[in-house]
Amino acid sequence: MLLIDCPFCGKRTESEFAYGGPALAPRPDPAALTDAEWVDWLTVPPNPLGWVEERWWHARGCGAWLTLRRHTVTHEIAEVRHGR
Amino acid sequence: MAGDRLPSRGRIDRSRPLRFRFDGRDYTGFHGDTLASALLANGVRITARSFKYHRARGIIGAGVEEPATLVELEGDAASGNRIATTVPLVEGLSARAVHAWPSARFDLGAVNQLIARLIPAGFYYKTFKWPDWHLFEPAIRRAAGLGAVPPAFDDSYETRHAHADLLIAGAGPAGLMAALVAGRAGARVLLMDEGIEAGGSLLAHKAAIGGRDALDWVAGAVAELAAMPNVTHLQDATAWAYREHNLLMVHERAPRADGLRGRGWRVRARQVLVATGAIERIIGFDGNDRPGVMLASAVQAHLNRWAVRPGRRAVVFTNNDSAYTVAADMAAAGIAVAAIVDSRASVPGTARAQVRGIEVLPGHLVTQTHGARGLRAVSVTAGGRSWRIPCDLLAVSGGWTPSVHLWSQSRSSLRWDDALSAFVPDRPAQAVTAAGAAAGATGLGQALRQGAEAACAALGLPAPEVPQAEDAPYAIEPLWTVPGAGAKAFVDIQNDVTVADLELALREGYGAIEHVKRYTTGGMAMDQGKTGNLTIVGAVAERLGLTPPEIGTTTYRPPYTPVDFGAVAGQQAGPVVLPYRHTPLTAWHKAQGAVMYEAGARWRRPGYYPREGESFQQTVDREARTVRQGVGVYDGAPLGKYLLRGADAGRFLDLVYTRPMSGLRPGQGRYALMLTEDGLIFDDGVCFRLDEGRFLVSTSTGNADAVGQALEKLLQVERLDWDVTITNITGQWGNATLCGPLARDVLRAAGTDIDLSGQAFPFMAIRDGSVAGLRARVARVSFTGELSFEINVRPRDLPALWQAVLEAGAAQGIAPIGSEANHVLRVEKGFLSLGHEVDGTADPYDLGMGWAMAKGPADFIGKRSVLLRRSSDRPRRELVGFRPVDPERQVPEGAPLTPQGRKEATEGFVTACVRSVVEDRWLGLALLMDGRARIGQTAHVRLPEGAVAVTLCEPVFHDPSGERLRS
Amino acid sequence: MTRYDVTITRLPLRALFEMRGALPGDAGLPPPPAPLRLTQAGDRVLAMTGPARWLLMAPLAQEETLERALPEAVALSDTLTFFAITGLGAGQIMAVASPLDLHASAFPEDGCAFTEAFGIRALVRRLPGGFEIGVDASHADWFAAMLDRVAGCA
Repeated sequence: MLLIDCPFCGKRTESEFAYGGPALAPRPDPAALTDAEWVDWLTVPPNPLGWVEERWWHARGCGAWLTLRRHTVTHEIAEVRHGR
Repeated sequence: MAGDRLPSRGRIDRSRPLRFRFDGRDYTGFHGDTLASALLANGVRITARSFKYHRARGIIGAGVEEPATLVELEGDAASGNRIATTVPLVEGLSARAVHAWPSARFDLGAVNQLIARLIPAGFYYKTFKWPDWHLFEPAIRRAAGLGAVPPAFDDSYETRHAHADLLIAGAGPAGLMAALVAGRAGARVLLMDEGIEAGGSLLAHKAAIGGRDALDWVAGAVAELAAMPNVTHLQDATAWAYREHNLLMVHERAPRADGLRGRGWRVRARQVLVATGAIERIIGFDGNDRPGVMLASAVQAHLNRWAVRPGRRAVVFTNNDSAYTVAADMAAAGIAVAAIVDSRASVPGTARAQVRGIEVLPGHLVTQTHGARGLRAVSVTAGGRSWRIPCDLLAVSGGWTPSVHLWSQSRSSLRWDDALSAFVPDRPAQAVTAAGAAAGATGLGQALRQGAEAACAALGLPAPEVPQAEDAPYAIEPLWTVPGAGAKAFVDIQNDVTVADLELALREGYGAIEHVKRYTTGGMAMDQGKTGNLTIVGAVAERLGLTPPEIGTTTYRPPYTPVDFGAVAGQQAGPVVLPYRHTPLTAWHKAQGAVMYEAGARWRRPGYYPREGESFQQTVDREARTVRQGVGVYDGAPLGKYLLRGADAGRFLDLVYTRPMSGLRPGQGRYALMLTEDGLIFDDGVCFRLDEGRFLVSTSTGNADAVGQALEKLLQVERLDWDVTITNITGQWGNATLCGPLARDVLRAAGTDIDLSGQAFPFMAIRDGSVAGLRARVARVSFTGELSFEINVRPRDLPALWQAVLEAGAAQGIAPIGSEANHVLRVEKGFLSLGHEVDGTADPYDLGMGWAMAKGPADFIGKRSVLLRRSSDRPRRELVGFRPVDPERQVPEGAPLTPQGRKEATEGFVTACVRSVVEDRWLGLALLMDGRARIGQTAHVRLPEGAVAVTLCEPVFHDPSGERLRS
Repeated sequence: MTRYDVTITRLPLRALFEMRGALPGDAGLPPPPAPLRLTQAGDRVLAMTGPARWLLMAPLAQEETLERALPEAVALSDTLTFFAITGLGAGQIMAVASPLDLHASAFPEDGCAFTEAFGIRALVRRLPGGFEIGVDASHADWFAAMLDRVAGCA
């Protein structure tokens, strides 16, 4: 159970949050992309043994969507910020 | 045989005798006893049967390390797999050995010993793999006797959260010292200890702190801590798991003052101190599990703490100094110590000095034990000569293993300490430190200093004063197994793993220590290798010509000791497990005798309202017919509702839905789909424009939270600069939905200031006004295919509205409608349902809803992916209707469709099947590969009893033009 | 007889309004000094519950007045059901219910925060002699049953 330091609420336990998937690049204009580029954006987020960026929603707290930098091995959380 | 209790000393209260029962026999012990000490005091030597071979076993340890004697408690205190040395004796306690039937003394399973050499490590894997392990598992489990689940559900458990500046695991000298330092500094301290009493190792042997009896110091420390409001001190409470970000799980057994059977603590600590002590380990030699063989430290604890003499004539077998104190204590208690067998070639003078008058045999080994129902003699060997020494007690010390379980669970690293011949804590991976014997301290003074220093370091405090205590010398030369140890030399007594098993594993190529563990089960399960793990590591290293640090350890896993399920589940058990939801009408529905279901998002909703003498099907038919022919009303409160405001709300909704919403006029609504970005249907619903800047989004019940989450994510992550706010108003509006051709008449009769004519209030419109004198917002949507008015009011007004429409509709024969009838009605109309047709794999075209995809260049979520998928011509599962060829044949929802009903890959499945009131027969919907092209043909549902032929049709059975719902 | 010295009371409906963005001047209260804090004036309470999110609480009788005064606010009066948990054992009940640290050093006298209680979203603040928890009204019956069970009510 992670402890996530919400910028608004302070340190809260993971169960107050909903996981929102890997932090994708900003949603591109679909019309400006080839099929391959679209598929790449949509389905190929990195999944390393190490640092990842991911979204979490403080569903049971302030309601803010957060972006976390988390280490997938140690669970260390290096950064929590609002939005993307 | 009560002659094994010493006349004086010990921490038992001889004025408080307690009666108890073990394996069907009655005994007496004293307050302060454990079940184990009381059994030993009563001369009970065989207290258990082993897990696999059903070998007779006795008490081996004195605390959580006890590997052999596991008991089930019976009666009011029923619980399984308790460690006898940790069960406090209470009046009337009743227990039985877990692995034995009918009793540990006479156990039928003991025949396994006769075939022991036929069931070595890996036996189960090799033997019971064909055709399927699960075929054999129940019988094996029964034979292995893993304990039984207590019979009755008990709700007197609790789990709670706690927060601390410093959590200290262990109230021995190091933990108590740390708690004093931290507590005096005002820190929030949680001190958790697994023992019945604080003091740890000090309870078992004589020592002095600050010039007085160490136990006086303990009592003083406990009293001082109790007076500190910032300190919470729990005994009989084990920190059994160390999770990420300093979350620790603690199991408090029987917090009697609060009338609870157990309590689980989830502690989030800023800093953690592991002061969990050390456990003496076993040595591998044949018969090292015979009743009468004990850990030296356990002998000492039973002598000093419980005033129990576990034998009359003893031999000590050691590879280190600590057993010499034990020998001295034994002699002082009147036990004849025949010899101290020390594997080391030379014994330090400080050790010898403690046992003057006792024969010390340096460079000797114990190779075997003898005795049919308990220890009678041991074989001793040196220099090629071997002889027997008669004895009924063998005290074994293989050295001390720091209890690094918690430390390692935190993912912190270990290093090998040559002087200790053990792994000790190295680098912390979280905010954790270790102190005392757990950190490798061997002296009492050292433990106290480490405890104090750890608290100071954790909290940034100046160095405190620490009371003086002696640091007794400790030296060890590793001895893991004796030469010749084999199939009766146990390295994991609980799991019946022997030296021969280790050697078999190595021969078969399982050289990595994690493989050895899995192949032999050594170090697994509830024992977690407390007395034997390091012996296994050492033995494997020896046989591979490596050193223990080259072998490393296996992963330490929670729980450290057995945990009651109740202490994990807490209050979330029994009748109120999951957070069910009620509408303001729940009480009314129940009073009407409705059969309540838990539907989407855990709402408890009426499934149907049976009347006297009706069958289920008759009720559902009646309710459905009421809507088709007259008028019904249902409780629509759970429907998800979001209010969107702001200058950009319109274009935000255009992005979210498959059809544009920004062009809606105030008071007008539109049905559309929401897709996921990968182009699959996520939800469907109606969006209304309330006025220029406000929109109302309605979602399906089960998806209400998910839609809110998705909308907020899109807004907060992708469209930060757009002026939109989203508010969940699901709970601010309840509704009674009138449906059926007579709905308008009923609404009119209930009294409203809204013009209900078709021109003034068309389908897909929304109007504010009053209904039955209540402030209302009425929407013309339909989930049934009939004329419908969804009358929304504030939930506090819903019961009044409900009553008003029932009275207003009495003349038209209005009836409440449950979700079963609603399901029939929506299937007849071919409307989608979440979890049925919308199963997370369908896109709009699959469900024949290409019309709901806005044409034109504008983008919306999921559009690109739908188009991409559509650009390939691969066949898809498509929504079709079907009628069983036999009209009376019901088909289960979820049943697969296969070619001709043969045993082949499925080509689709039944999403819904109902008894239609408009066709008076069974019919349904299905998702079928290339289904639209097959309409008119026959398909087959494959069922265990045979194939069912169905005729495929358009997925709408009622009013395909939609005249009725628009009327 | 309860396990803990505690009184649990389901409180009557109250007026609730959510406001977003800049706080309108006519809320009748000064803004709270910091996130997750509240200000109180008479029988009105204003809490900062999220980034640019405000929750105004008042007796139900003031609902219509406030609705007129604050046209931009969204009425949410029926969405939450509040429970008062008071008595010497109130802290014990809260520790069972919620992972939020309610120690005075972590949750001040004027604290007010959304968190979770028994796994659902809950609004928590202090009351004289205890705490108040607000939960989704649809969960209220279940929540009351959970509180009773924890308190050890027969």
